[in-house]
Amino acid sequence: MANQTSVAEIVSEPYKYGFVTDIETEKIAKGLSEEVIHLISAKKQEPKFLLDFRLKSYRQWLKMKEPNWAELKYPPIDYQDIIYYAAPKQNEKKSSLSEVDPKLLETFDKLGIPISEQKRLSNVAVDAVFDSVSIATTYKEKLAEHGVAFCSISEAIVEYPELIEKYLGSVVPFSDNFFAALNSAVFSDGSFVYIPKGVDCPMELSSYFRINSGDIGQFERTLIIAEEGSSVSYLEGCTAPMFDTNTLHAAVVELIALNDSSIKYSTVQNWYSGNEKGIGGIYNFVTKRGHCRGKRSKISWSQVETGSAITWKYPSCILQGDQSIGEFYSVALTNNKQKADTGTKMIHIGENTRSTIVSKGISAGQSSNSYRGLVQIGPKASGAKNYSQCDSMLIGDQAEANTYPYIRSQQPESSIEHEASTCRISEDQLFYLQSRGIGFEEAVSMMVSGFCRDVFNQLPMEFAAEADKLLALKLEGSVG
Amino acid sequence: MIRENSELLIEITDLHASVEDQPILNGVNLKIKAGEIHAIMGRNGSGKSTLSKVIAGHPAYKVTSGSISFQGINLLELEPEDRARQGIFLGFQYPIEIPGVSNLEFLRVATNSRRKQLSHEELDTFEFEDVVREKLKIVQMDEAFLNRSVNEGFSGGEKKRNEILQMALLEPMVSILDETDSGLDIDALQIVAAGVNKLAKAETATLLITHYQRLLNEITPDFVHVMAAGKILKTGNKDLALELETSGYEWVDQEIKNEAGNS
Amino acid sequence: MKASYKQWLTSLPQPSGLLEAIQRKSRKALLDMEIKLIEDDSWRLTNRKQLENLLKLPLDNSKAKQEINTNKGLARLPSKGFRLDLNGKSNCFDQDKLPTGFSVLNSKEIKTFIENQSKNNINPEHWSIAINNASSNHIIGLRIKGNDIPALELVMQAKEKEFIPTRILIIIEDKSDLELLEVLVGANKSGQSHMIDIYLGKESKLQHGLICSGRSESNFLANVIVNQEAFSTYNFTSVQYGYELGRLETHINQKDGNAKTNLNGLQVSTGNEQLATYSKIHFNGPEGHFDQLQKSTASKKSHCIFHGSINVPKIAQQTNASQLSKNLLLSKRAKIDTKPELKIIADDVKCTHGATISQLQEDEIFYLRSRGISAKQATSLLIEGYCKEILESLPVEASRWGILTQILTSIQE
Repeated sequence: MANQTSVAEIVSEPYKYGFVTDIETEKIAKGLSEEVIHLISAKKQEPKFLLDFRLKSYRQWLKMKEPNWAELKYPPIDYQDIIYYAAPKQNEKKSSLSEVDPKLLETFDKLGIPISEQKRLSNVAVDAVFDSVSIATTYKEKLAEHGVAFCSISEAIVEYPELIEKYLGSVVPFSDNFFAALNSAVFSDGSFVYIPKGVDCPMELSSYFRINSGDIGQFERTLIIAEEGSSVSYLEGCTAPMFDTNTLHAAVVELIALNDSSIKYSTVQNWYSGNEKGIGGIYNFVTKRGHCRGKRSKISWSQVETGSAITWKYPSCILQGDQSIGEFYSVALTNNKQKADTGTKMIHIGENTRSTIVSKGISAGQSSNSYRGLVQIGPKASGAKNYSQCDSMLIGDQAEANTYPYIRSQQPESSIEHEASTCRISEDQLFYLQSRGIGFEEAVSMMVSGFCRDVFNQLPMEFAAEADKLLALKLEGSVG
Repeated sequence: MIRENSELLIEITDLHASVEDQPILNGVNLKIKAGEIHAIMGRNGSGKSTLSKVIAGHPAYKVTSGSISFQGINLLELEPEDRARQGIFLGFQYPIEIPGVSNLEFLRVATNSRRKQLSHEELDTFEFEDVVREKLKIVQMDEAFLNRSVNEGFSGGEKKRNEILQMALLEPMVSILDETDSGLDIDALQIVAAGVNKLAKAETATLLITHYQRLLNEITPDFVHVMAAGKILKTGNKDLALELETSGYEWVDQEIKNEAGNS
Repeated sequence: MKASYKQWLTSLPQPSGLLEAIQRKSRKALLDMEIKLIEDDSWRLTNRKQLENLLKLPLDNSKAKQEINTNKGLARLPSKGFRLDLNGKSNCFDQDKLPTGFSVLNSKEIKTFIENQSKNNINPEHWSIAINNASSNHIIGLRIKGNDIPALELVMQAKEKEFIPTRILIIIEDKSDLELLEVLVGANKSGQSHMIDIYLGKESKLQHGLICSGRSESNFLANVIVNQEAFSTYNFTSVQYGYELGRLETHINQKDGNAKTNLNGLQVSTGNEQLATYSKIHFNGPEGHFDQLQKSTASKKSHCIFHGSINVPKIAQQTNASQLSKNLLLSKRAKIDTKPELKIIADDVKCTHGATISQLQEDEIFYLRSRGISAKQATSLLIEGYCKEILESLPVEASRWGILTQILTSIQE
């Protein structure tokens, strides 16, 4: 285990990303209409096909109803009371980092995501998104040498319109669900990755999302395309300041993996979760889906979800290519009044496709944590295999853990195995650790990381330790 | 070994304790000095194991009156982890399994928390591996055990050896071994006993809790106490244990009856 | 669907008798909530067309006494018990023929019980319950007291092109125990709605078997509603086969926890059949035990559904619950849906659930074949072994019904 810092030190810290950067921001007026969409599209100088895509999505969204099947109860969202575009005032995205407002660089430094030339991580390229726009992408040139495109989606729309037109909305159609339709209409920025044929991306790619303004919605859009025989590992991180109001975050992520390619997508989500009374925090409604289009392709999702007041998120894999592989590794921790309804969908279409699901839910305080998953084996998916494991850990007697696995098979030559268990940390286990001199909080933290180990092992090295610390921090005061 | 003038490590005075409002200990008195080996014998339910848990600070046991001092400190005020850091070690009768938590990591964190208390330098991962490898020899354990989860899937003998390994790493002042001999075959018993003997020092003390003579054949006690109905009924030397082995515990019942009649 | 369903409801005979009030209430509720049914998750997978067919069948309002210990060409009478035919057409029968340990509940007792239904975590507006509440004109109530009393066999026989609702209430007194076998027998193009309410007193025990044996295009909806007092034991085994549309719902409520519940179920579907089991258990107190094993096999173009839900609220500390759904998919056109679901708020609990869907193991078949057994025979042997685990937990008297043979024939046809 990588965590060597004492938990006692960490737990004494409050949510440390809760600060607001004082920077002049350009915002449009609250509310959503066709005019607003025209305005966003014009600000981003988008080609016509994209404006049409947005308008089509908006018209579809108007016809849709907000989903209510999840174990999530929250007051109704007033979609006219949200600002759909905000950007720090700087003329254009700068070609050189030295021209970026130092306040912004400082913000990311403070978040532990150094992007300035001297401090940046040597093996990770970062795309930093502040409110609605991407402000900097590091190592662009170095990546370009390998033919890898890594930039904000706004830039990609200008520079690679043919790829955008071909792939945007091809995995998550705009009509997919209420939040995906909303995102398709108003998405602001996000990351774009293109890995050409036969290239193993030479470094980790990472996007860092920062919500700064309290009244705006964040609607990022990420698109990753892995051409034949290529591979990439991508990580996203998210934080937001503490506001008493709820901020809406509705992202869409689309992954496309062609023959023999692989995409590993990791998330460490630490949006502000509201205070112990449940006031404030991010509403996180996210549609993430990967399409294993090619033979022997692989998409692997790993996520550590600790933040947000509400989480609604089901990173999924459509396993179309024969022998393609889908994976989902998840740790979701809820405390106080947080509510999470998260899981995955594994849709087996091709022959000999395989999927693995490992989900660990930890509920503390008065929170509610639900796993919801679908495993579907279609009639043509002979030889398909799925293994699922969903474990829940309850801390305290006010927390709620739910498991809703939907399993459907139409193919006899396939096998599905689902296992689930619920446990608590027993007094005797705690006493045993304490009787060896290990402090109470640390003992709890050790057992929680032990519980999550299968998932942490899937995270890129640099972030596994981070995730571990994050959990310890979140559990503060929830035990005993 | 009994020595004049050696330091008083543990002093238990008129200790009463209960579990779920059920009194289990009814006035235990015991003094343990440095260098000594004590054995507490008695039947099931006599309160032996409860005494060990109370000394270590198990939260399910409530002390209703009396005191336990350790090197002049009031032990009852300390959290279980602080007692361990001070040098109290309890070898459990049934060491619990903790899935997911690596044995090596657990041993390292525990060892460092004790070292910190002793103002010793904490050991990093590499240094610790050297130390633990050395200590493994004492209990003849394979290194493979380090990479498994704490006690998970260990056999009875392996669990007990893991306990002695922890004792070796934590270098306690007072080691309480609760039925360490139960469930061990003769080979494992000898390994465990040899480990305990090797770790005993002039400054430390050992308290053995057992049913049977066979552990005491391997580890010779200086004092043998017989416990019944939550009290120490009789104290003697190692011969008392042999006497119990041959004549059994019937006389204990008689004594309790007599005592009840007297009061 | 709406029109025919409405028509069916209005075609039902005028409410009357003991159940008049509940009939009126439920008919109204059904008319109001039909739209909701379509959205409800637990009906999402139901074959709507077949459900419509079921709700077109007329209800015969003639009166006929219920009979005790008459054999109508079904399995022979039980040797250590007695048979009661439940025809849904009357609530009178020869009470003198009831053995010791059994007595009949009076109408006041029955009324009180029905009125309290909603207090025991049962929603009388739950669709399938409401169908029975709306159509049942008669109810029989039995009180069981004592140990080593004769086993009770209830037979509900369908009639061609007719809809028959049946309803029974069984109260088992404290420290008493009973062995109960219910048999639903389908008929060509028939519909059945069966509902049994069981109340288990303190330290009582019920061994309960339910066999649902269908014929061509027969349909049934069954509800088993059980309220358990502390320290009672409820063992239930259900077997379904041969119905075009079969749906069994089990609602268990451990009123103060501390009780034991074991559910075993087997569904064997073939042809175009759709068989479903929905089970719900609610722990309303601590230290409850629950163990469930549900098995399904689906062949040809058939569809098996299982949805099991375990609800452990805060009050139910130290609950120990396990649920396992095992499924065999035997054909490329068959479908299996399973959803084992846990809802837990109490923290000191042990709950596990699992689900598997697979086909017969190739190496097992190969092993048998390498010993000279034909592939067909090997398959049949393995399925037999698969089903036996459940069939063996039926009450002993069930063997007279020759279920295993019927199941194996149905799969091989």
